[in-house]
Amino acid sequence: MEFPISMIIVRRVKPLPYWIVPVLALVVGLLISMIILYAMSGGVITPYDVLVSIYYGFTNVGLLAKTFALLIIVGIGLLVSFKGAIWNIGGEGQFYMGVMLAAWVALFSGFAFNGFIAKTTMILMAVLAGGFWALLAALPRAYLNIDEVPVTLMMNYIAYYIVDYITKSEWREKQYGFRKTPRIPETTMFQVIDGTTLTLELLILMIVIFVAVWLLFKYTSLGLRIKVLSSNPNLLRSSGISVQLTVVTALLLSGMIIGIAGAAYLGSVSHNINYPVEEYTPGYGYTGILVAWLSMLELIAVPIAAYIIGALHTAGISIQIMGAGGAAVVNIFIGSILLTYAVLITISEYKIKIIIKKR
Amino acid sequence: MVASQAESQKSFFSSPSTETPIIKLEGITKRFPGVIALDNINLEIHRGTVHALLGENGAGKSTLVKILYGIYTPDRGRIYVDGRPVRIASPMDAIRLGIVMVSQSPVIIDRLTVEENIVLGLEKFNMFAPIRRIREKIIEVSETVGVKIDPSTEVWKLSYTQKQLVEIVRGLLLGARVLLLDEAITYLPLEEKKKFYKFIRKFADEGGTVILITHKIPEATDVADLITVLRRGKVVGTVPVEGTSIEEIRKMMFGEKSGEITYERLPPGNPGEVILEINDLWVRGDFGDYAVKGVSLKVRRGEVVGIAGVAGNGQKELIQAVMRLRPVEKGKIVYDNVDITNKTTYYLRLNGVGYIPDLPAKYGVSIENNILENIAIIPTFSREIISWKRIKSLAYKLIREFEIKTPSPETPVKFLSGGNIMKVLVSRELTAATKLLVAYNPTRALDEATAIRVRKIIKSKVINENVAALIASEDLDEIFQISDTIVVMNSGKIVGVFPADKAKREEVEHLMVM
Repeated sequence: MEFPISMIIVRRVKPLPYWIVPVLALVVGLLISMIILYAMSGGVITPYDVLVSIYYGFTNVGLLAKTFALLIIVGIGLLVSFKGAIWNIGGEGQFYMGVMLAAWVALFSGFAFNGFIAKTTMILMAVLAGGFWALLAALPRAYLNIDEVPVTLMMNYIAYYIVDYITKSEWREKQYGFRKTPRIPETTMFQVIDGTTLTLELLILMIVIFVAVWLLFKYTSLGLRIKVLSSNPNLLRSSGISVQLTVVTALLLSGMIIGIAGAAYLGSVSHNINYPVEEYTPGYGYTGILVAWLSMLELIAVPIAAYIIGALHTAGISIQIMGAGGAAVVNIFIGSILLTYAVLITISEYKIKIIIKKR
Repeated sequence: MVASQAESQKSFFSSPSTETPIIKLEGITKRFPGVIALDNINLEIHRGTVHALLGENGAGKSTLVKILYGIYTPDRGRIYVDGRPVRIASPMDAIRLGIVMVSQSPVIIDRLTVEENIVLGLEKFNMFAPIRRIREKIIEVSETVGVKIDPSTEVWKLSYTQKQLVEIVRGLLLGARVLLLDEAITYLPLEEKKKFYKFIRKFADEGGTVILITHKIPEATDVADLITVLRRGKVVGTVPVEGTSIEEIRKMMFGEKSGEITYERLPPGNPGEVILEINDLWVRGDFGDYAVKGVSLKVRRGEVVGIAGVAGNGQKELIQAVMRLRPVEKGKIVYDNVDITNKTTYYLRLNGVGYIPDLPAKYGVSIENNILENIAIIPTFSREIISWKRIKSLAYKLIREFEIKTPSPETPVKFLSGGNIMKVLVSRELTAATKLLVAYNPTRALDEATAIRVRKIIKSKVINENVAALIASEDLDEIFQISDTIVVMNSGKIVGVFPADKAKREEVEHLMVM
């Protein structure tokens, strides 16, 4: 007996123009989230409300600024490894390792007497911490060929629990007994630019990282090696370049950059760590994945993607305030778009035909 | 004007046939950025014939076949199948019309068994079809091909030839009336080739049609009935194989350049001091057993050492061990007075070694990247910081000297023809080889004229710049043309060493298959 319906998947010779997928993903993803929000809130949140909050998100530049800058840093960090087809899903863990070490510098190292020294040390320690956390996944990936996706993903939870443990025990603020760390000293806080949510240090870090990564891919052998790692690792091998070392470097750099975002977040936005961190996290490590993907791994497009995602993040918060539900509401936009994107990217490379046979 | 064109190209038309051609192309034109790949192609293919498409690298053969198979669509022109105009927008369309392609790199999955591979993509058998029925069918069809392959064997255990056969069996199961063989047999060892010829003949005699794409003239003359020569995207002419000489075909393929084609020995080198010395080398193959068993040889500056041998006799492993891409089990390799047994490929790259690997598209270039990046990635040309200015001027020099047909050095390599990709690789590695060139089948993707030019360039580099070359090749013509010393490898051992001027072809051939 022949089955009347069959599906054929053919690889497209020419993929669709590269901008179609991100744009379509945004539109379709937003439509889906409107439906979800409408159903979830029992009709309270109408599509009109959603549009209003999106408009608010896109235009409220002052509120957007910090998210925008942090997402750019995380997005660029992820881009460095994604360019090498190393899928770092562990941005969240690397971010919080950065937060934790920066917090240690600010609270306990004794450097707080001098703002400049303290902030520099915070950033350096965050670089090391983020890099170290990525390295733990990079080494098995490079030398034992253990897939980096599940490893980096699970390392996020390990990072959360380490931070949770230290926050509610050793580092717990003593005065009122809340389960959170004390605020970092005034001297170690990043300097707010008037009228925005942005800090001077964050802005400088963002620009420096952007330029450095641009230079990395434009002028260095390492950048080229990372690109060739994704297109043909065999060529690396016959060129005499260690594939393993390239894998490790790509993931290490990625973690280091994301670690910086962690320090900047502590210094500019949160000023302390709340327990449990998995509930208080802004989730930039995950949102950054969306930023990197929407940019189609083009560095120049990262700020655009970060702006869009940052705006939707703000829109999500305002919808939450309207009473749609809990904290998870913020992620509805992000989730719908990411999902639509993942489906659409398949369609951009493969043609799917459903054939119904006539009897 | 028409008359003068006809005169200059001569008319090579075979006796016109009255029956409807199975495939007819009318005015097919295809442009790629910067190049016209096909320019107004008219062609008729008849039932029951083996029709060869010959042409030098970049003549447009592959583009034409890809159009027939629905991988590309033509910018202009019409395709008729059985006299009816058709639109072939995807391989699925082609398969429905009975047109099936077998390419040079088998598109099958190593981890699956033969039958699993065959079932994949077969519309006739959906996932609920009983495997027993499929198995019977496979055995039935593979017997008509004249080879026995156990359908439950995993594909990785098969040889290259057997994999090609699996593809053909799949094609026949798909109901192929027209088989497109895109350089599918070019790289097979001679013995296997002959088996294939038999099958092709039989298929055509039973009314099937074969379109054979190749850049090797003997392959076309061995098995085809008709030969159509393409040159720079145009049809030069169609001739019957019988009554046409190889010289005539060469002239059609290469025009005035055909005079340069010669298999005479190139001028001898002048061997100087030893630069590479291999001592009792033992190297394991992919499956853990020894592929190289105690090889010792010396390569001097200013000479070409050619390793002759049937594919799979340890040459590949020997070359990879020298390049430090494969671990050495026992023995010693000394390069430029340094024991490199524990050194890396990177060390060799920084010390004047160029390397042309087997399967260039897989190991030699990255087709997603452009020509500049494909040069800059080699540590010989850039250390930590890339000087694009230097890479660019080098790229322009290579494009000029090797006549690489490309719109620009920033063009991704995947848009170049197979021969031009090979030229990018060969020219790059020749530049890198300031002391030693190590190569495996350096010219196999190239047409005759280009292959001979490349050999001349390698040889003149060896003579004029006092470079050493260690070249393994499955092409004996190449070995005899370029070598100063011929080394014969068989079953992982060296079974004969001859100075090239004293080597006898029969003797070398005998040692190869002994």
